[in-house]
Amino acid sequence: MDKDTAIGGPHGRFPSTQVSLLEAAAAGLPGETLDRVIALYWKPVYKYIRSRFGKDNEDAKDLTQSFFAAALQRDLFARFDPVKASFRTYLRMALERFAASQHAAAKRQKRGGDVGFEPVEEQAATAESPERIFEREWQRQLFSLALDDLRAHCEGCGKRLQFQIFEAYDLAEGERPSYAALAARHGIAETAVTNHLAWARRTLRAIVTERLRGVTSGDRELRNEMRFVWM
Amino acid sequence: MDVSDSVLRHLRHVAALPDLTSTRYELESEIGRGGMGVVYAARDRQLGRRVALKILDSAMAGEARIMAQLEHPAIVPIYEAGALPDDRVFYAMKLVTGARLDHFLGGSPSLAERLRVIRRVGEALAFAHTRGVIHRDLKPQNVMVGEFGEVYVMDWGVDAVAGTPAFRAPDARLDRRSDIYALGALLRFMLPASAPLALSAIAGKAMQADPCARYPDAPALLADIERFAVGLAVEAWSEPWWHRLRRFGARNALLLWLLAAYAGVRFLLFFLRYL
Repeated sequence: MDKDTAIGGPHGRFPSTQVSLLEAAAAGLPGETLDRVIALYWKPVYKYIRSRFGKDNEDAKDLTQSFFAAALQRDLFARFDPVKASFRTYLRMALERFAASQHAAAKRQKRGGDVGFEPVEEQAATAESPERIFEREWQRQLFSLALDDLRAHCEGCGKRLQFQIFEAYDLAEGERPSYAALAARHGIAETAVTNHLAWARRTLRAIVTERLRGVTSGDRELRNEMRFVWM
Repeated sequence: MDVSDSVLRHLRHVAALPDLTSTRYELESEIGRGGMGVVYAARDRQLGRRVALKILDSAMAGEARIMAQLEHPAIVPIYEAGALPDDRVFYAMKLVTGARLDHFLGGSPSLAERLRVIRRVGEALAFAHTRGVIHRDLKPQNVMVGEFGEVYVMDWGVDAVAGTPAFRAPDARLDRRSDIYALGALLRFMLPASAPLALSAIAGKAMQADPCARYPDAPALLADIERFAVGLAVEAWSEPWWHRLRRFGARNALLLWLLAAYAGVRFLLFFLRYL
């Protein structure tokens, strides 16, 4: 069986293909690892910056770009120590430090007549803290990437029907169709709807786990992050 | 793919549900969750009975083996353990209906009833310790009182659990004496404000910061509770003489009444002789 068809194989397991951050760091952090980290963290970082500084879209994007550029320049990812914190927490703390220094620099610029960042205290008051927004966006982005993977996986291995049923039921905004309606729509038995949904959810869970494996330092951190996602 | 807040919430919920298609169980509802796993009420299709299903990360598979070793009336029996298609593990156990200890205390049970419950918990601990198992996280939320008064101690010996602050011993390494500390903390938690000083002293001795100053084992603590229950002096407290006198009076009330009656009669007869 080749690699593609083995994906989500007989028991619906999604094979482990992603190495942990530490393994990647040992190999000099190849571009693929960085892509994975940036794919997952770009939006949470962007949203954090918007919330923290009340920046508009373009400025927040520039600042997000600056943060990742600075992180790469200063070898931030390679300096991650899993004993001290999870990678997610480490990156958020680094972001907070970066944001604080940028804020201080902006204030200096402001004194010189140039307008930089909005002071933190002048932000529009929101019910959620920037930290909470960061965590929520991290979860949203994780699922968003996993759903893209699931769709690609279903298309690649002839499981379009499973994805269509999953999309119609689990991704529905508002009222969900009944299993009977889905069965009638696709001309299959209701039990098949149940089975297809169970398969898609199981595969999604496996994909989320794989995504997490690629941005954590090892089994222990992976388990903690899974608890954070599922509990 | 964009994911709204409501879809995100739904996905986090449904993708975490255990896939039980390869098992004999049918999911009913979630009944509890903690740091280590989620417990569901489920139906055993083969035997037509309801069970509790605990779903755990595969790294926690040892928990079912630990539980299965502990066959005791105050420990929930394990029916079956297995693995799910996504590598998580589950174990099925008796579904206990009743109240968690903290809720049970809300019904203001009598002191005797409270002591009966703590004795059952202590007996379960004593038994587990003889099997080399320590609880690590004894607290009111892990004790159930069933509808017929049966007591169950749940959630045994999970390595990753560091204990709950109010019930956790300040020990660097958790062992049997740490469970004794937790049992003392549980006793203190269960005592009403008007509890006798001797019982508070028992809880205090069990909760000593120095493990060597605590009771050496659960039976020693239970023996002190038993001494209190039958009106003897407890080891944990050197009581003042008036307490001793009062306890003596309470224990020997009948004898004292008989002696008083006898003395009264003799006194009366003495005066009657000179009338």
